[in-house]
Amino acid sequence: MATVAATPARRSIRDNITGWIMQRVRSKRGPMTPPFVLEYRHIFVLPTKFGWGFGFMLVFMALGGLNFNNNMALILVFLLATVAQLTTLIAYRNLSGLKIDNAWSEPVFCGDDAQFRVFVSNGDDRQRFAVQAGFRKPQDCRDLKPKSSDSMILRHPTTQRGWLEMPSFRLETRFPLGFFRAWSWIFPHSRCLVYPAPAKKAPPLPKTGRGQAGKAEKGDGEEVHGLRKYQAGDSMQRVAWRASARHDELYSLEMETPRQDACELDWDLLRGDDIETRLSILTAWVIAADHKQLAYSLRLPGIEIEAGLGPAQRAQCLESLALYAA
Amino acid sequence: MKPAPTAMLDRRGVIWVVATLLISMTPQLAGMPLHLVPITLLPIAWRLLAEFRGWKPMPIVLRIFATAVAVASLVITYGGLMGRSAAVSLLVLMLSLKLLETFRIRDARIVASLSLFLCGTQFLFSQGVPMIVYIIACLLSSLIAFMYLQRCEAFDVLGGAPETDRSLLSELGFGLKLLALALPVGLTLFLLFPRWGSPLWGLPEDALDSRSGLSDSMSPGSIQNLFMDDSPAFRASFEAGMPANSELYWRGPVFWDFDGKTWQTGYLSRNLRADSKPDPDNAPFRYEVQMEPTEQKWLFALDYPALIPAKTKLTIDYQLIASRPVTELKSYAMASNPNFQDSPVLRQTLLRSAINLPEGYNPKTAEMMSEWRREAGSDTEIVRRALDYFHQHGFRYTLNPPLLTRDTVDEFLFGTRAGFCEHYASAFTVMMRMAGIPARVVTGYQGGYFNSIGSYVLVRQSDAHAWSEVWVRGSGWTRIDPTAAVAPERVEQGAMESLDQRRYMLDFQWVRNVRNTFDLFQRGWNNWVVAFSADRQSRLFSVFGWDMLGPAKLVLAMIVIILVVGSIVFMLVPILLKFRSSSDPDPVQRSWKRFIRKLEKAGFVSRPSMAATELASSASSQLEYKGDAISKIAELYTRCRYSQDPGSRQELADLIRRFQPRSTS
Repeated sequence: MATVAATPARRSIRDNITGWIMQRVRSKRGPMTPPFVLEYRHIFVLPTKFGWGFGFMLVFMALGGLNFNNNMALILVFLLATVAQLTTLIAYRNLSGLKIDNAWSEPVFCGDDAQFRVFVSNGDDRQRFAVQAGFRKPQDCRDLKPKSSDSMILRHPTTQRGWLEMPSFRLETRFPLGFFRAWSWIFPHSRCLVYPAPAKKAPPLPKTGRGQAGKAEKGDGEEVHGLRKYQAGDSMQRVAWRASARHDELYSLEMETPRQDACELDWDLLRGDDIETRLSILTAWVIAADHKQLAYSLRLPGIEIEAGLGPAQRAQCLESLALYAA
Repeated sequence: MKPAPTAMLDRRGVIWVVATLLISMTPQLAGMPLHLVPITLLPIAWRLLAEFRGWKPMPIVLRIFATAVAVASLVITYGGLMGRSAAVSLLVLMLSLKLLETFRIRDARIVASLSLFLCGTQFLFSQGVPMIVYIIACLLSSLIAFMYLQRCEAFDVLGGAPETDRSLLSELGFGLKLLALALPVGLTLFLLFPRWGSPLWGLPEDALDSRSGLSDSMSPGSIQNLFMDDSPAFRASFEAGMPANSELYWRGPVFWDFDGKTWQTGYLSRNLRADSKPDPDNAPFRYEVQMEPTEQKWLFALDYPALIPAKTKLTIDYQLIASRPVTELKSYAMASNPNFQDSPVLRQTLLRSAINLPEGYNPKTAEMMSEWRREAGSDTEIVRRALDYFHQHGFRYTLNPPLLTRDTVDEFLFGTRAGFCEHYASAFTVMMRMAGIPARVVTGYQGGYFNSIGSYVLVRQSDAHAWSEVWVRGSGWTRIDPTAAVAPERVEQGAMESLDQRRYMLDFQWVRNVRNTFDLFQRGWNNWVVAFSADRQSRLFSVFGWDMLGPAKLVLAMIVIILVVGSIVFMLVPILLKFRSSSDPDPVQRSWKRFIRKLEKAGFVSRPSMAATELASSASSQLEYKGDAISKIAELYTRCRYSQDPGSRQELADLIRRFQPRSTS
């Protein structure tokens, strides 16, 4: 028990210190919110654990060299120390001038990791090596070619539906020798929408189709609707080869999905369960309906979404579920 | 909480860490007892094989077992872990064994860092010119190793670093650039970082290793080993005038006590101080000796030393014995007067120890000598007769004499009749003592190579020599060199010329000449770098009239110079460390970029968003280009992009090479 109790206490002290540092950083170094270019005042350089160890070894060697006045050993030590010192400058240069364009994440379901994509670009005529990004620990790493841009993915666990503010993250590098770490904090104004976790054992979709069955949906589907002229982008498997051969022109099959009755996903169908469970069942239904290409409508207390189908409908429904009473 | 395991090594990392270790252990391997070398190399070989064959790390029991075996063999070889060679050999062995478990970045970093430490320890053994190459090789390989370990660690989250198309040359270039940028500040630190005038702690004497050089005893074969060793013992630069080569007898340990096999320095002679010495003002020879470390206390001087260097005593038999072993390069001024009379009167105790011999050895010699004693009128006659004996009875000078067993002098005089200075000096001294003449053995060096460019005498270990001194009433101790009676060329020309056979494979005259000339650099290196000390440092700015700089002023000067030099380097960094991406691996892209560069040189402003044809038409109009080469190139480029035809690729490259943006305007 003692260890369990001790851990949060220690962490809170560390978090306090980190929080205080962050606050100072933000107030002193100006806005560090994308898009912005890393400048000297944004970049910090400190030795790594390995750097400290190596430095300790150098001090030890220097003491020996001084004591025995061993000049070649001293040359070795002084050269290594200067190289190490030089790497602070190189590590700094590896970050300085780097532009952070944007950070952004697709919505995810609660429990999955939010994947924040950080876009960086190197506008300089020199290569940058092994630039890492991460919230606490580095999670992604890139070599950035001259005049190029790239993106890195930062994962963050989600535990709660609603908006997940992207925490501040670090861009860092230990280039070239790993003695020093240069880093910069970035405070993004990005957030990730976290949908409720879909219920694992959701009841089957309610078949209370009050809305009219709409027209069959053209496009992808299982049943053939008719022929139309081939358009660039049509799948080769859909080309009606016989018809095409007959007409000296490519035709492709147009498919359709017969529309079933729209289903009504209603909050009130799930009387008795607590809010989160209801939301997660509704989420599972939305996904199932979308998967089966059923038109669906969603009703939450105070919110009503017309029956519909497609990505927009899905996104709208899931967003309402995510943000419900939050 | 278990710490998160650090990242695993990749192949490049392994190769460079192993390279760093191998390079840094090379000098130590060369000096190790031969049977320890395979033991040291075995773990390295295993680790390399493991990398290429994908072997798993060894079980811990096996590793502990291997370590135990290796350390045990080391302890048995060196008889303990005391002494510098044993300690450094242990370090080498442990680093090599560490490779058995080096599968993670952390361990690899430890190995690479400690390899540099090992490199530092090697300078305790030698700071010669070849070590410059060694230090550079160590630095380069370790920097490259650290660079790859860093990459490996950074890209661990992605499961491995992307392959770079870096060649060995560009890797070395990276290391060289870092070193070149570090050199100015590093040298400033070297020159101005305050040194300690005297060491805070010294080496415990039992930590010294008997290094090659003369020692405090002479048993059969002890000088023989030195003949094989061409490393410099010391250098002497004469102020004015130089004795003939045959007069260059550099005096070292003097031996009084003989037990039938081994000669040793006498207790009295070691501890009694000389009661008189030559007047330095009248000494005909003045010179400066720069002595390589020997781990022994003897300093060398020509007969007879008139000056006594600091912290040194002059004994009754004119050995110069320093208070501490010479563990680093040592320079001292010396003056010698060969005409000095050494002890015209000899104390009883010394006289007794100068004719003392062990009972029951060499009966045949004893018999012969008592016969000579009866026949001879004076001591000088016996001395002459002994030398004639060596000269006339077919004695040979050779480095590979037959082995002598118990009655060494008997066997030598009446049996083998082959040997070198050590045998002759020993036999002669024993003969004299048997005839009742006080005699002793003197070891030291004889001759030396006169380097005419640097005008100094280089004395090598292979110039080691042993001779005798007999005490003659009235004139005192007199040098007699019995070897000269057998092989006069040994004394006149040096040990190597008096030998018929080569000592080792590359033992040619011209090789020796090259080495003797090359020694000039060694001497310069010694003078300017190895001998740099607190004293020299304090006089660094004496040309400006600032003498005796204290630590505070040195630090001040250091900071000022580092600020100046450092800011120059700071400005150089962007130029030298641009880290341009290595050339595009795609030949078509390479040609195309070249084309754009040519256009840009002519004044065309391109935008990265431009497509090939768009760029071509824009370039033609901007540059008022009248030919069709630009559009042709653009067309060909587009074709190359979308076809795999190597012919048009070549055509494109040719067209671009010939392309001149201004030729038609």
